[in-house]
Amino acid sequence: MQTISAVFTYTFKEHVRHKAWLSSALFGFILLGGALVISALGADERPRLMLDLGLAGIEAITLVSIVFLTVNLILQEIESRAIYLILTHPVRRSDYLLGRFLGTLAAAALGMAIMAALHLVLLGLYGWWEPGRYLAALLCTLGKAGVMGSLALLLSLALTSEAAAMAFSVFFWMLGHFSSEMRFLADRSGSAFIKTAIVAFSHAAPDFAHFNYRDFWHATAPGAQWLMWAGVYAVAYAGACLALSVQLFEQKEF
Amino acid sequence: MNAISFQKVSKIYRRSHLGKTTETVGLDGLELDIPEGEVFGLLGLNGSGKTTAIKLLMGLHLPTKGEVETLGRRAPDVEVLARIGYAPEAAYLNKTLTGRENLRLFAALSRIPRGNLEKRVEEMLDRVGLAHAADKRLSEYSKGMLQRASLAQALVHDPELVILDEPVTGLDPLAIKEVRTLILWLKSKGRTVLFSSHDISEVERVCDRIGILSGGRLVKLMSQNEWRGKSDVIETAFATAVKRTDGVGPIRME
Repeated sequence: MQTISAVFTYTFKEHVRHKAWLSSALFGFILLGGALVISALGADERPRLMLDLGLAGIEAITLVSIVFLTVNLILQEIESRAIYLILTHPVRRSDYLLGRFLGTLAAAALGMAIMAALHLVLLGLYGWWEPGRYLAALLCTLGKAGVMGSLALLLSLALTSEAAAMAFSVFFWMLGHFSSEMRFLADRSGSAFIKTAIVAFSHAAPDFAHFNYRDFWHATAPGAQWLMWAGVYAVAYAGACLALSVQLFEQKEF
Repeated sequence: MNAISFQKVSKIYRRSHLGKTTETVGLDGLELDIPEGEVFGLLGLNGSGKTTAIKLLMGLHLPTKGEVETLGRRAPDVEVLARIGYAPEAAYLNKTLTGRENLRLFAALSRIPRGNLEKRVEEMLDRVGLAHAADKRLSEYSKGMLQRASLAQALVHDPELVILDEPVTGLDPLAIKEVRTLILWLKSKGRTVLFSSHDISEVERVCDRIGILSGGRLVKLMSQNEWRGKSDVIETAFATAVKRTDGVGPIRME
């Protein structure tokens, strides 16, 4: 536990000092630009549009940040050889990977919290204040970030190329939004082989439908059970990706 | 008891590119025992296998053939690393951390109990002369200061076995003298020291025994009584024993 905590702390500090939080400034500009456009619209539509724009901005910036950070997470340590000194201490490779991953996720969560605070201030000015629903939306984005981060980490270790890992991560991110369509395609397929392949692929790719709070966002807030299952899915998917990453990482020589 | 034991160890690097596999011999049947409390110097040209031997000891590489043992345990063994200190040829440290944070990280990774950690970190910073610069980031350190920070992380947990990969390469004469003093201090405390070097005069001054590597093979093993009080013994043995394996011919200026 002391090892994971030590790796977690230095990873978190590293991201903060590499100015990962600058993504929040980008978000501020998006909000300001959005507010200018929205101010031209009818008063009753403004809070809803500001809410949707802000949440979409937080999600996009968080996902881009986490993919970028996790793809470089181990490869840069290998390139700078800083990994030599870590792994020549009594550190299990699984502990190292877990600490690095959790530290990165915490840095992404910090960025999300800063963006959310800015967003909530602006929403407050528009008269919108529903922190429970807002928190549910943020948890869903964090779940997606955890899933994408673990997948990007696995791809970076499997492909050992930052560019290829990033490209595949974006591909899987897009695919993750079409899981039900893929299963529909599999049902319609005449070939048993193609059907099995598509179903297997749709299960291997992340299924972001589990985090789609927008399905009922404007009607009722997502229930605790729905959120719990989203959490279970995120932990299970990220856990599987991390387990595979450990398997790959154990084989590596430096 | 032996602190280090190489038992017919070979390491072959295989690289595949476009379906073509090339093999490079890192070590070829190395047999070497280093008893506890000895200061042992590994001499050799670039590419002779010194760093490969050290990486095998530290678990960064796995042997292709044979067995490596450190402190009576077969390498790689994560637990035994808590009793070994290692400083690589350059200070591969995370430059975003301060000197104190860096040492705190390695103290935690070396499993120094939390209650004792801060005291040990302060003591070590003082010992290596970095107390005044402890809160500066490593990115602001000079090469000499980084080398000290690297030595500090290797010694913070008071290891039984210290492995130094080319510790005097690129250092100024004053820093070389300090490293020599450090090795002799470790020897006086009964620690086992293995270090690799190109510098014959340094090896001559501090080692109990030396081994000369060439092309991954141990071509000469000498003990102190063979060179004490005589001049150029090691240099002559070195020139006779080694062969260039990097394809570079001698310089001819006549």
